[in-house]
Amino acid sequence: MPELRNVIVFAIGAARYAIELRWVREVVTLGFVTTVPTAPPVLGGLCNLHGAILPVLDVAVLVDLPAGPAARQGDGALVLEADSTTCALRVDQVDHVASLLETGGSVVDASGRPLTLLDPVRMVRRALELLGAPA
Amino acid sequence: MTTDLDFEADELAMLRQLFRDEAHDALEAVTRRILAAGSAAPPPDALAEMMRVTHTLKGAAGTVGLAAMVELTHRLESAFAAVGRDPASWTPGTADLVVEITDGLHGFVDRLVAGEPPESAAAALRAQIARIADVPPERPSQIFMAVTEPLPERQSGTMEIAIPTIVEAGIPEPLVDLPSAGSLVESRTQTIPGEASRYLRVEPERIDDLMSSAGELLFDRTRIERRVQLLRTLSRDLARTRQNLRDAIGPTGGHRLAEAEGELAGQAALLSQTTAALLDEIEALRRTIGELQRGLTRIRMDTARNLFLHAARTLRALRRATGVVVELRTLGEDTEFDKSVAEQLVDPITQLLRNAVAHGIEPATERTARGKPEVATVTIRARQDGNLLVLELSDDGRGVDVVTLRDRLVATGRWSSVRAQLASDADVLDALGTGVSIRGDADELAGRGIGLDVVRQTVAKLGGEVKVSSVPGRGTTFSMRLPLSTSLAHAMLFKVGGQVYAIPAVHVVDTTLVEPGATTTVVRHEQLPVLRLEALLGNGATGERRPGVVVSFAGKSLVGTVDKIVGPREIIIKPLGPLLAPLTLFAAATISGSGKVQLILDPAQLVRRAYPDAPHESLGEMSSSPMVLAGRALVVDDSRAIREAMTSMLGREGWIVDVAEDGVRALQMTRQLRYDLVVTDLEMPELGGFELIERLRTDDRFKATPIIVITSRANPDSRRRARELGVRALVAKPITRRKLLEALASRETVA
Repeated sequence: MPELRNVIVFAIGAARYAIELRWVREVVTLGFVTTVPTAPPVLGGLCNLHGAILPVLDVAVLVDLPAGPAARQGDGALVLEADSTTCALRVDQVDHVASLLETGGSVVDASGRPLTLLDPVRMVRRALELLGAPA
Repeated sequence: MTTDLDFEADELAMLRQLFRDEAHDALEAVTRRILAAGSAAPPPDALAEMMRVTHTLKGAAGTVGLAAMVELTHRLESAFAAVGRDPASWTPGTADLVVEITDGLHGFVDRLVAGEPPESAAAALRAQIARIADVPPERPSQIFMAVTEPLPERQSGTMEIAIPTIVEAGIPEPLVDLPSAGSLVESRTQTIPGEASRYLRVEPERIDDLMSSAGELLFDRTRIERRVQLLRTLSRDLARTRQNLRDAIGPTGGHRLAEAEGELAGQAALLSQTTAALLDEIEALRRTIGELQRGLTRIRMDTARNLFLHAARTLRALRRATGVVVELRTLGEDTEFDKSVAEQLVDPITQLLRNAVAHGIEPATERTARGKPEVATVTIRARQDGNLLVLELSDDGRGVDVVTLRDRLVATGRWSSVRAQLASDADVLDALGTGVSIRGDADELAGRGIGLDVVRQTVAKLGGEVKVSSVPGRGTTFSMRLPLSTSLAHAMLFKVGGQVYAIPAVHVVDTTLVEPGATTTVVRHEQLPVLRLEALLGNGATGERRPGVVVSFAGKSLVGTVDKIVGPREIIIKPLGPLLAPLTLFAAATISGSGKVQLILDPAQLVRRAYPDAPHESLGEMSSSPMVLAGRALVVDDSRAIREAMTSMLGREGWIVDVAEDGVRALQMTRQLRYDLVVTDLEMPELGGFELIERLRTDDRFKATPIIVITSRANPDSRRRARELGVRALVAKPITRRKLLEALASRETVA
């Protein structure tokens, strides 16, 4: 039976993604991004989120695409909470909030264009794998 | 003045320190009562208490031989007595006057105990006290006779003063919870030298040191934990190897091989058990460290009372400046939180009060038209919520128009329309102060946008956050949630590849300069390996002489080259979280004053990289230098005695000190090394102090270096010149440790 999902739709470069709203804690504009030397490309850097250290991840690397542009101050980001981990995804644009019908694994938006529906839990685990691998 | 006293010099010095603390408490007690009464005359019981406190202080001042203080407290006591006889003489200005006097006495006591003869200050205070009430002139001999008068007996029941309810303009006060305030005040004001005390006075620095050590333990624990995790992996690998071996031997394998395999199995099991036990023990260690930190934290606890007193003072000052009358209500003044948190909250509270007066509160006519009381109320409420301190500051002013603010966020391009659409009213209000203001114009009192930025930054630095809520027409509430305490640690900060990094100060023993291309360098007769941090952390650009940080860990030292040494700082340690745990080079992070994340390097990892051949086990033995480095200082003075004294005093504060006998020599030395502090005399042969500073300021490396001038001729001219040259402090000879510490603490150019 097809499932109705409340998602936030966003774009990174030409690619468009969706994440279920229940994982999204905040939409923020990044403050100063501290780069972490020795870290693999999946980690865009660290930001200060309400006094805590927030890792900013590169979605492209997580879905096995070439790394996207470096995260910078002023970029938009989605703050996610999944697998008892808080992290941020750098995004170019937050498009809209929508209810999507998932049919057979593929997702399209209102105008019929394809979207990649991301699973934050799997993303966090993948990030941990990539960060743990020897650089 | 001190000759007929029964104390050894050092004992007297100690007693005077105690007296100073006591005097501050007593003066605060007087101030509290004045503020509690608003601009009206204090009620008789409050006045009696003010007299008693002043009287006790007078006796204590006599004990430690501070005649100037005996005289002033006596005059003050007499003035209070005169007010008691004629309450009608009290005018609204009298309250302000008394607060000014107690403020003045705070500074007076400090200077007096530090050994300065502040005759002009005494005269000024004397004149101010005379304005409180008409006191019959007295001969000096009467002053000491007065000490023998019996004290008016006061029962503990007379302490029910609504201290937290600080009401301006004599408006009847609503009473608030304050069950134990009286007893607290009692215990503070009765501690006088010589009297048996249940309290132990400890210098805050000693507790800070302990806190810092406890913070270090956290680092140590993290390192052990990582090593045990490694053991666990090893144990799993071993089990797998054994399985492989067993498969290789097969059922027909040789008897001796099978035997060895059996032994291996036993050893693997033992390793696995030991590792599990170690993990349990680390958990126990974690709990103990936690208890230790909590215990230390409790020692440093302050109540909200002082913060509320500060708020009342700020409102008084604002009333004088703007004429806006505000009633202050305070709740939960017994809420406890760390002193350092309390100190850091002073500025945010001041800013929020200014905001309220400048923007939040409508003019009286507008308030009346809206059916509100003419006098506005600001309520500050402190409470504890688990491990958090919740501090709420509300005004009953006009509130914030969320619709306008939302439009403005989109119009200024700070938010996309989608984000604005997604955001709740609370989210929109939270954006206030992140560069967006509800008013285009910012007046001198409080540009709401900028001011709130500062509040947010300060609170964020303390690990907390600020939430704003508002009901249009009814008022605005700023709610700050932050940890009750902060774990501060000393660290050495430096810059590499455009970013600032930190290393725990206990592991930094020195700073030096490293020649280009050098792989080793000699520090204090010891050849140390050079670790190129610009290659490890930056883009590796090199080719010039670089500053180096000498890091020592587990008996091994190295010199890490950096772009620039920022200097020693106190930092708050933030965990990196589970995602970043695999990045072993970094132990934790901290957040700078401007809100940037700064990484803390793990010294153990640096040593491992500098000694790639050393067996890792040897790094497990912890050894840390007890010396906390404050940086490298240059002392320039033609008197050897002063150079020695300064070296010793700065050394005790953790500074590494170089000396020069004149300006010429000092200039030579500054060409070789960068200093974090320069202390210089003015009159010297060859090159004088100001000439030296002038030359130093033309050097980029010394443009902003803190400079302290020691002088015997602190005239307006030299003060002006010092200010022009960005000198931090002028210290008059003779130099005392206290004066030096004050000078070191000054963050701005001399006024």
